[in-house]
Amino acid sequence: MAYRIISPRIGTPGELWEPEVWVNVHALVKGGFIESTDTKPTQAKPAKAKVSKKAAPDATSAQE
Amino acid sequence: MATSTYLSNPVVTVNSVDLSDQCTAATFTHRFDQLESTAFGDTARKYVAGLGNHEVTLSLYMSYAATETYATLASLVGTTTTVRVQPAAPPDSATNPGFILTGAFLAELPVINATMGELSTVDVTFVGGTYSVDTTV
Repeated sequence: MAYRIISPRIGTPGELWEPEVWVNVHALVKGGFIESTDTKPTQAKPAKAKVSKKAAPDATSAQE
Repeated sequence: MATSTYLSNPVVTVNSVDLSDQCTAATFTHRFDQLESTAFGDTARKYVAGLGNHEVTLSLYMSYAATETYATLASLVGTTTTVRVQPAAPPDSATNPGFILTGAFLAELPVINATMGELSTVDVTFVGGTYSVDTTV
């Protein structure tokens, strides 16, 4: 799984990050230092759902 | 005369998080259990190395802000991680080795150590794990 840097304490924010052996990735995610590259779509999902209710047939199909 | 004066250069990372700007002291001890092997006929005590029993103790300013001390350590209590201490900023070299404790266990974290009128600090100790020294870039 790939991760993206959020905090400059880890590296350059926005860059992909590869965990080394014995690094506690769960703690870094929980502490807000990195995010899973799967995390971003999860945050965007509620916004897409609201838009699809109002109109946008494309958005509805994208949701499925 | 050999001396080492530490001003602002040491680099301390815990679980890949650079906490150098929150750290005021670091003690990295490379240690083995001392097993006595003295036997009849010996005139002095003798010892052999047992299991490695290394530890790192860090003194850190406590900060509850995002991605600071508390955020770094809170989820590590009761787990193992990697701690790295280097006398000066990279690159690694024979005269600037990176001391690494891999798979070190954090048993406890003082979540509050407050004294009126003083900056809050905490001492944390990572124990166990595999000791290594990085001298290559």
